[in-house]
Amino acid sequence: MGPNNDGQVQSDAFFLKGDEQSGRYVYCIAAAGEEANLGTIGIEGHRVYPVVHLDLCALVHDCPPQPYQSAETDVIAAWVLAHHRVVDTAWKRWRSVIPLTFNTIIVVGEVRSAEENLKAWLEAEYDSLRGKTQILAGKAEYGIKVFRDVVALAKSITETSLEVKRLEEEIGSKPRGLAYMYRQKLESTVSNEVQRRTGNEIKELYDELCSCAADIRLEKVKRGEDAGQMLLNLSLLVSPEKYPELEARLDRIRNRDGYSLRLTGPLPPYSFC
Amino acid sequence: MQSTVRPNATLVDLLDRVLDRGLVINADIIISLAGVPLIGINLRAALAGMDTMVKYGVMREWDEAIRAREQEG
Repeated sequence: MGPNNDGQVQSDAFFLKGDEQSGRYVYCIAAAGEEANLGTIGIEGHRVYPVVHLDLCALVHDCPPQPYQSAETDVIAAWVLAHHRVVDTAWKRWRSVIPLTFNTIIVVGEVRSAEENLKAWLEAEYDSLRGKTQILAGKAEYGIKVFRDVVALAKSITETSLEVKRLEEEIGSKPRGLAYMYRQKLESTVSNEVQRRTGNEIKELYDELCSCAADIRLEKVKRGEDAGQMLLNLSLLVSPEKYPELEARLDRIRNRDGYSLRLTGPLPPYSFC
Repeated sequence: MQSTVRPNATLVDLLDRVLDRGLVINADIIISLAGVPLIGINLRAALAGMDTMVKYGVMREWDEAIRAREQEG
């Protein structure tokens, strides 16, 4: 390991447990070296600089050895966005970064400074990190949410299904009590059919989008969206040469009746490391 | 589709990823984060509840940047 060069010698020479600047907040690992000084773009305007091991570096800022915590939503949001700003800047510049999760802070050990701990970790994990940067190189993450207007779907089923038509006719000819039962049967027939069809649609959409992704993550579907029922929530890792294909497929989905979608990205590959 | 996009939806998608994803270092060289994940829960709850989040200058700037990029892509 040995001592660091230039500016870092001083800060490390004085490190103490609990020292104001003894921690290292890590934003991401990038396939870059000493040149990777990003300036004062970090959380709360901290200077972001590289801790280098061979052809990889960790982008860090100096911080107290305690996690970022606040009850103020706008304060947290500003931190999280600053974290993203650093990762995003590095990603655009070197196209090959491994984002770290928010609030990763390397601390002083028994005998080593935080910086030495970080370097030792980079050295120990080098092969795995190098492999990841190679897999992720050039690729971007996209968040894709597909929504379906299920009310319109139910309506079209009601209008076209023979089974529904038959039940409707029977309702008309039945006494009240029995008609009620038939109406319930009709409702469940429609909702089963909605489920069956959307189930098939989800499978088709997934396969369709899978074919243009290097990797894919199925995310939780959320309720209570105003664009309709969320059929599918995906994170896709996409290489630049596959992007036009993805775009074409998304256009096709978007143009289908009763569909809408939401695309987030391109983003650094947060979900694929 | 534009008409159905809630203004902060993309922002929430982004913040979710920064908070929940990314590489996690499993070693004793990192600070213990027991209790800290609450930070994410607070933030998400606030974001989900209010569309006015974008009123904060920093948020507006980012939201616009993100949406501009979204439209390019």
